[in-house]
Amino acid sequence: MKLVTAIVKPHRIDDVKDALREIGVSGLTTTDVEGFGRQRGHTEVYRGAEYQVDFVPKVKVEIVVDDGDVDGVVDAIVKAARTGKIGDGKLWVGEVERVMRIRTGEMGPDALSG
Amino acid sequence: MSVSDPAAHLREELRALERAYTIGHHGLGVAGRRAGLVDACLVELFERAGSPAGVAILAIGGYGRMVQLPASDIDLLVVHDDDASIGATVDALLYPLWDAAFAVGHAVRTPEECLAAIERFDAWTAMLDGRLVVGDETLADRALAPVRARAREDPAGFARRLRDAADARRARFGSTAHLLEPDLKEGSGGLRDVASLGWLAAAFGTDLESAGLVRARERAAVDAGAGFLVRTRSAVQLLTGRRADRLVSELQPDVAREMGFVDEPNLLATDGLMRSLFEHARNVEHVVGLALARATAGTTGDPVVIADAGAILEALADAAEGGEVPSVGLLDAIEDVTVPQRVGWDARTRAAFLRLLRSGGSGSGMFDVLDRVGLLERFIPAWTGVRCRPQRDPYHRSTVDAHLVAAAAGMAELLAGSGDADDPIELSAVAQVERPDALLLGALLHDVGKIGTGGHVPIGTAIARDTLDAMGVAGPERDLAVFLVEEHLLLPDTATRRDLSDEDLLLDVAARIGTPERLGALYLLAKADAFATGPAAWTPWRETLVRELVAKVQRVFDRGEMGEELAARLAERTERLRQLLDGEPDEQIHRFILRVPRSYLLAVDPGRAAQHFRIVMPPLGRNEVRTAASAGSRAGSYEVVVVASDRPGLLSWIAGALAIGGISILAAQAFTTEDRTAIDVFEVEGAFEPEITEARWRAFRNTLRRTIEGSISLEHRVREKGRHYPRPRMPSPVTIRVLNDVSEFSTVIEVGASDRIGLLHDITRTFADLHLGVHLAKVATFDGRVVDAFYVRDELGRKVTEHSLLSGVESALRERLEP
Repeated sequence: MKLVTAIVKPHRIDDVKDALREIGVSGLTTTDVEGFGRQRGHTEVYRGAEYQVDFVPKVKVEIVVDDGDVDGVVDAIVKAARTGKIGDGKLWVGEVERVMRIRTGEMGPDALSG
Repeated sequence: MSVSDPAAHLREELRALERAYTIGHHGLGVAGRRAGLVDACLVELFERAGSPAGVAILAIGGYGRMVQLPASDIDLLVVHDDDASIGATVDALLYPLWDAAFAVGHAVRTPEECLAAIERFDAWTAMLDGRLVVGDETLADRALAPVRARAREDPAGFARRLRDAADARRARFGSTAHLLEPDLKEGSGGLRDVASLGWLAAAFGTDLESAGLVRARERAAVDAGAGFLVRTRSAVQLLTGRRADRLVSELQPDVAREMGFVDEPNLLATDGLMRSLFEHARNVEHVVGLALARATAGTTGDPVVIADAGAILEALADAAEGGEVPSVGLLDAIEDVTVPQRVGWDARTRAAFLRLLRSGGSGSGMFDVLDRVGLLERFIPAWTGVRCRPQRDPYHRSTVDAHLVAAAAGMAELLAGSGDADDPIELSAVAQVERPDALLLGALLHDVGKIGTGGHVPIGTAIARDTLDAMGVAGPERDLAVFLVEEHLLLPDTATRRDLSDEDLLLDVAARIGTPERLGALYLLAKADAFATGPAAWTPWRETLVRELVAKVQRVFDRGEMGEELAARLAERTERLRQLLDGEPDEQIHRFILRVPRSYLLAVDPGRAAQHFRIVMPPLGRNEVRTAASAGSRAGSYEVVVVASDRPGLLSWIAGALAIGGISILAAQAFTTEDRTAIDVFEVEGAFEPEITEARWRAFRNTLRRTIEGSISLEHRVREKGRHYPRPRMPSPVTIRVLNDVSEFSTVIEVGASDRIGLLHDITRTFADLHLGVHLAKVATFDGRVVDAFYVRDELGRKVTEHSLLSGVESALRERLEP
């Protein structure tokens, strides 16, 4: 099993959710996050007054999927989150050792389905 | 009674009691029977221990008051006369209870130790509830009498300690009267408050009615509240099987069902439960607060006389402005005023009401007073719809009405300048407020449409309008307040859900808002609203997004890209376009209007735009080129629109293909839709042959299409064409200005030069060579001199900020254009 983590623009999250639902992903976790990549922090100007924006708001999406579903999930996220402009975000995939559904005690892929 | 195991027997009896009543009907009566069963068990255990002399078993706390809830501890006080064998007695009582899995809270004290224990206020109050269950009556009296006497020594002082304890509980547990997940025991207006009245009575040594601390009507309200709170808390404990005091959201539907609430129009069963709970808790909170105030006030001073409803507001406003809590005399006087069901507003009432609103936190306390005595709804009839109404939302912590009062108080604090000194947007917004009362009224009414049906914003807007009319708030003040109610979600929703790098979105938001003052007012409301909602509503994440939006919209106003006049023109032109397209499918018209940039709608005459609709809307092939020509604005000129998929260099190819076709460009406007379709509008004339026939348009389309396909190169042909014509004899100098502060998302490059064949092609070719896309272009010719403005973006669609590239643009243009 793999953990797919994506950092996307806030306004793309609904499209990402829809795209994942369409390919049958039944659960995901999102978190409002802030950070910076190549964009770094920047100075905003409001009516002559400057203020520093150190971190850019993004949404983090996390999904645990069966190995065979990784490519489909990655594709769906990338397509839905891409605007072609700077700051579209990042995505990475990592190994997951163990998954358990807390209510039933089901383990592994059983804990992911349904 | 003789059973083999009294504690196990108690367990069985309690289970039988549980079964005898449905979960929602374990009220005060059942709690009393439960306490009675525990008493019987203790008597039995005490007898089995040999009824030792010099020992008294006392019930204290809730158990002492005969209010024993299903999962509550059995609170015992074992009083002894310094008996060395007391340990064995206690073991004989407690072990059987522990073995039967009862949670027992116990203290073992001599009478002297009882008196010493009053150092801890909760131990003191628990003992005030004490009663003998079994054992030595004289000893029990020796223990309890001094504890009670100490409270009676200084009833007012004791009342102050009760009040301090209530304040501390409120700070820690919040209010049972409006929190969406209230603590039924410790919250303000909860069961601990009810118990406080008993302790107060103990301190005064008489019932509170006789002491003049509680009126009969108030007593009845508290008794009803106590019954409801006990039923609710018992249901929570029975459903969870635990000693739980918080009515969390997950439990509310089950508790509501068990207590017999059913769905009603505009009020779900769950909301019905919560509303009843809040109403009861408000009564408890109010009466307890009042009783403690009366008890601590000593003398109530000169009697306060209040003549009418307006005077009530004036008196409360005076108190709020003085930062005082309302005096007992004032509260009593308010209760004695006859207020009509619907208060008519006049200038005096209005002025006092606004003074209350301006007083912020102390003013909101006065709104609570008005609410608790049932007057707020008489001033604002619409308040009934939101009063005590829970809201289903992960962010909100309070009822709608409490949220509204808190938002208005928050707004008052922002306006008073006590907000965030590090927030330049807030500071600037506050500084430009011209109608503070409108902002306060907007905050007070922003969610007034949350009445359990339909979209709360349109409903709230209508209610706010009626309410303000009834209050006699008129003119710009009223309009701004209504606007705030109508648009209070615009900033937070747009900021968190929409693409803030979409220029048209910013223009639309600016058009809806209209003026910087309104933008600032909306920002202040967004902040006051969020702070009143709960800790999760104004995170740095949200704040950054909302500020980004506000700053960008402000710059739209600063640059004059949108404002009230432009917004009106945009609306009028859009409406005209809709009319002209009447007969086309609505959905297509809607899509067209959304697809084209706002700059297009503002620049292109609706009549022309309606013609463009037909060639813009059908799906476009990758290399397809469409044109439509019609008569231009002057004799012999044509207007031609070219539609093709946008790509780097497209404008230069179009300009080149026109040049090759012997067509001179008089003016041009190039637009790009959000889905990257280029809509380029040219005013042209035949350079040599005035008439441009369909055959010449066809030839132009062919040239352009073949260029797009890559089958021919225009560059060489345009140069060849130009070589045959002499350059202007008196060329005016080439002027180039690169501006980065004119547009939010584009670098604007202004170019002035003498007109000549292929000039537009050369300029735009230069951009294409530097990988700059032309997002918008305005080209005009005056007296043989061309004045152009190009809005360009880099390959990633951003404004050009790289210095080397910016200076490179200028030198490349000069090299190309200067003779």
